[in-house]
Amino acid sequence: MTGRPMWTTRRTICTGGNVVAACLGATLALAAMSPAQKAIYDSYATTAKTADAAFTDFSASRGQAFFLGQHAGGKPDTASCTACHTTDPKKSGRTRAGKEILPMAASANPKRFTDAADVEKWFRRNCNDVLGRDCTVIEKGDVLAYLLGL
Amino acid sequence: MLPERATETTAAGRIVWDRFVRLFHWLLVASVAGALLTGFFGGYATYLLHIGFGCVVAALIVLRVIWGFTGTTHARFRDFVETPWAIARYAGRLLRGGAPTHIGHNPLGGLMIIGLLSVLVAMVGTGVAALGGTAKDGPLASATSYATGAAIAGVHRLLAFSLLAMIALHVTGVLLESWRTRENLVRSMITGRKWKRPERAAGSAPETTRAATTVARPTLAAAISFGLAALTIPAVVAASRWPVLGVPVAPLDAVLVKECGSCHSVHHPSLAPASTWRSVMAGLANHFGETATLSSDVERRITQLLAENAAESWDTAAANLLRRPNPSEPLRITATEGWIGIHRGVPAAVFASKSVAGKVNCGNCHGDAEAGIFSRRAINIPMEKFP
Repeated sequence: MTGRPMWTTRRTICTGGNVVAACLGATLALAAMSPAQKAIYDSYATTAKTADAAFTDFSASRGQAFFLGQHAGGKPDTASCTACHTTDPKKSGRTRAGKEILPMAASANPKRFTDAADVEKWFRRNCNDVLGRDCTVIEKGDVLAYLLGL
Repeated sequence: MLPERATETTAAGRIVWDRFVRLFHWLLVASVAGALLTGFFGGYATYLLHIGFGCVVAALIVLRVIWGFTGTTHARFRDFVETPWAIARYAGRLLRGGAPTHIGHNPLGGLMIIGLLSVLVAMVGTGVAALGGTAKDGPLASATSYATGAAIAGVHRLLAFSLLAMIALHVTGVLLESWRTRENLVRSMITGRKWKRPERAAGSAPETTRAATTVARPTLAAAISFGLAALTIPAVVAASRWPVLGVPVAPLDAVLVKECGSCHSVHHPSLAPASTWRSVMAGLANHFGETATLSSDVERRITQLLAENAAESWDTAAANLLRRPNPSEPLRITATEGWIGIHRGVPAAVFASKSVAGKVNCGNCHGDAEAGIFSRRAINIPMEKFP
């Protein structure tokens, strides 16, 4: 750990390994969420809980690894979320057709994750292009935790 | 044997071409040169300039015709418009030698003036019709179909070549006549003066003095000009604003704009035939290599909007050019013959540049792409792409 803020919300700055551990999970992310974002996040959490009673919460660090990581099974040109969204979710990305994609981080783009159908549409399309399959609810929730808490 | 020439010279010369005729002549030279240059070499960037030159030519011709009935002696049509028989007789005498010298235009010169004026009138007319039909612009936009406009544009082009030939012939005639009469006719069109008097000997009829007593009526000419302008300019403006059939006016559906526009610039439904749209929408699972699936109700809605407003329903240039898919790549608008033809002059570097970002993003150069208009006026290629 570098001591640099790993993620920031309007209210809390989490730094360092021990604090990260304390802040991990939904507590921090939830603090910054709008009601619409919270509803979507909670609905994924409910689905996960229904599937697995042992489920406690999504993980932002797991989501970060998933978002930044290279994946197999999808299209070779888009093996990672970062192929279009770049490695900095607070900055704009670019579609393969050349159009600007507004930042994925909710702190940089408050309209992110406010329309459940849109969120599902893009997971459906992009998971297919990057992974060659649908994402699991855990993967989706982890990514949301990462991007909502960033 | 050279013809006898006029030898008598007056010190101050005489005014043959009045100030209006001289101004008209050189303004016409400038505006015709501008129209020819912008028409042949200007491309989309000089579209408005070309129309502007055409308007100046039209206005000059109208004024010249009025002055042809109200102007000074040698400005009047009756001073230089001859019967075909008289022109042929003069041409014969010119070839044999011994043709008379004229103060104003000789009969062949007069024929050239009428010819040039007629071709220019035809060029203005075909230009306005071509503009109306193909670009849906100007006073004939609501009265001309794309097919008619495109055919007339071909005539406009042919007329431009015949105009070039006539200009060459006109300049040759002026130089030959200058040599024959020992009078610098180009200088005369600048100063208005001629110094040599026509030969009166050999019993030749004083053909040049037919209209010698004509008095110019500048006030009448000005009154007619203002009257015509007051009538025609509002009429042209009103006709240009008349609603044009076959041109989309309604804004695009918000759902279509959102769904298609999140990945690439929104293509107006008029850019492809209904059959293409149906195939595109049926294949969203692999949309040019991308997964672009929609919920079934959104997909149905967008398919219907696209099919109902497809290229067959419109008469714009884009709809006409893009109506026939390329059989080897039927879904790709940029593979159609029409698209390739109209973008032939655009360097590949433009499409590769970051601000254009590929052929799919029409809106990055065409400000009115989403409206389906694609006017040459709305083209704005981001300059960073030109090295």
